[in-house]
Amino acid sequence: MIQPHDSVLVQTLGRLLIPLIQLFGLYVLFFGQYGPGGGFVGGVLLGTSVILAILIFGPRSSHSALATKIIRGDGLGLIIFAGVGGLCLIGGGEFLNYADLEIPGLKTASRRYVGILLTQIGVAIDVAVTAISIVISLSFNDNDEDSHV
Amino acid sequence: MSHHLPALIFLLPFLAAICMPMVGLKNPGWCWPMAIAVVFAMSVASIANVVVVMDSGEIRYAFSGWAPPIGIEWVDDGLASIIMVTLSLLALISLINAGPTSPSTLGQRIVPYYTLILLLVSGMTGIIFAGDLFNIFVFLEVSALSGYALVGVAGGKALMSAFRYLILGTFGASLYLLGVGYFYAATGTLNMADLGQRIPELMTSKAVVGGLIFMFIGLGIKMALIPLHGWLPDAYTHAPEAISPFLASLVTKVALLAWIRIMFWVVGANAEIEHVPVLFLLEELGALTAVVGAFLALTQHEVKRMFAYGGISHIGLILIGVGIGNPTGFAGGVFYLINDAVMQAALFFLAGAAMYQYGVRSIEDLGRLRGQAPWMTGALIIMAMSMVGLPPTGGFFGKWYIVLGALEAQHYLAVAAVIISTILTLAFFIKLFERIFRDSQPSSGIISVEAPFSIKVSVGTASAAIILLGLFSDPIMGFLLESALPPGL
Repeated sequence: MIQPHDSVLVQTLGRLLIPLIQLFGLYVLFFGQYGPGGGFVGGVLLGTSVILAILIFGPRSSHSALATKIIRGDGLGLIIFAGVGGLCLIGGGEFLNYADLEIPGLKTASRRYVGILLTQIGVAIDVAVTAISIVISLSFNDNDEDSHV
Repeated sequence: MSHHLPALIFLLPFLAAICMPMVGLKNPGWCWPMAIAVVFAMSVASIANVVVVMDSGEIRYAFSGWAPPIGIEWVDDGLASIIMVTLSLLALISLINAGPTSPSTLGQRIVPYYTLILLLVSGMTGIIFAGDLFNIFVFLEVSALSGYALVGVAGGKALMSAFRYLILGTFGASLYLLGVGYFYAATGTLNMADLGQRIPELMTSKAVVGGLIFMFIGLGIKMALIPLHGWLPDAYTHAPEAISPFLASLVTKVALLAWIRIMFWVVGANAEIEHVPVLFLLEELGALTAVVGAFLALTQHEVKRMFAYGGISHIGLILIGVGIGNPTGFAGGVFYLINDAVMQAALFFLAGAAMYQYGVRSIEDLGRLRGQAPWMTGALIIMAMSMVGLPPTGGFFGKWYIVLGALEAQHYLAVAAVIISTILTLAFFIKLFERIFRDSQPSSGIISVEAPFSIKVSVGTASAAIILLGLFSDPIMGFLLESALPPGL
């Protein structure tokens, strides 16, 4: 069980840092097509910001409300990823061949752009949720059904 | 549309596994029917796939449309398609069997339980279709990680076996990955077709030979060859009754299939290390595994453990078949692989049903079946006939072609190994039947539970399948000889 950290210094710095980390995570995620970065790194950064919130404010506070809710969306990222892949399949191309992503009014290059971005968002969500769920399952599931087996 | 089939076959169980936690959140009871429906759809797709492959040759599927040496490729040839049909149909009947025999202590955890089963199935699908070495590793891990969790799901003794399986399995996977790294360092590519052109002329390089040995030991742990089999008997014995059929019939065979792919499609059948043919080594290892495995089976007291060692011995027989290095032996080995998958599934269904109905664990308890379970005993007799190799069961034809191949190649040691392992297999089945038919233990006064319909269906289907495989051995062998042979054999 993680307790909230009672130092003012840590709490104030955390309030400052968490949005910055999230902003940087989003930047890395959206910049990923042009340079180093992408869904995996962006997802880790987004997950880290939520983990930091749990560590500083404790899992029960309103700052960490997102963390306990997000854990239920475990497969959401993969569904986005596979959904985009499936749409390409329906469009007539191979699985994840973004050129066949049937979005009216878009040229092939833009289709690839949208396709990559969507799958990267899916990857990011899954990586973030996985990172958070590792922390949560290691820290504050003390009295769940497994413990008395 | 038909060229998308390999991707679809994989995506069906994989997507269902992802969606399962969301479906199961409100209705945990839907998980079992949903898993069955998905694997049924997968079986239909794989049968359609085998028809397409028969009609128009192999399908090479490039994901994202990137051409193979750069992109990720799935190879759906005769071998992959026919093993895929075996896998999906066996997964279907194992799932039907899994409903009532799953541990009753699961509660809410039934949702992750079926998710893991579907992930196990999709991981094995991936190994079968993978066209490059690294994806084999990825899917090996997907299926193995689900396997570890499923072995330990019931808690208690199983946790210890699951942990041992995890340590050894991870060790094997790491060795395999190390070997893949050596191959990549030597050639700069991971695609099997591409490697197949470069590796044969590099067989004098120490990096390639080292990589090959690492990969073989890694996959050898996964397929439980005799000195590396330590994890298997415990894991199969202590796993839940519903899970043992999946593991016994499919996991080791799929690892063996991955090795067959590397051996024949990448390294080439004529590869030699310092003038020693690699295939010859394989054949000898297979002979050792076949004889020692059957001998160890004879010395066991628990029913499931005995079947587990029997399965190890049969992995050896398959290796003998493919190691002979002529078309008859190779096709016979693959045909025996299919038969063995069905036999192992059926044997563990029977062990599970005997456990469920009469509480049979050790061989001494088998006396309880006498006069009580004519159908179960009948199915066991059919399985024994096939394991020993009596016509008209599939096991007979598998062994027949393996021995035929060995005689063609004049490998008399392999013939001797097959015969000795057959005699030992016969001996351990005699031990079982002696308990059932001649034991003086009173069979009355034992509380028995009526088996649910789904257990009967899976036992019956598997027993019928093994006879059908025997009756239709000719067309299947014809298909294997015509379109599943590796290049250069």
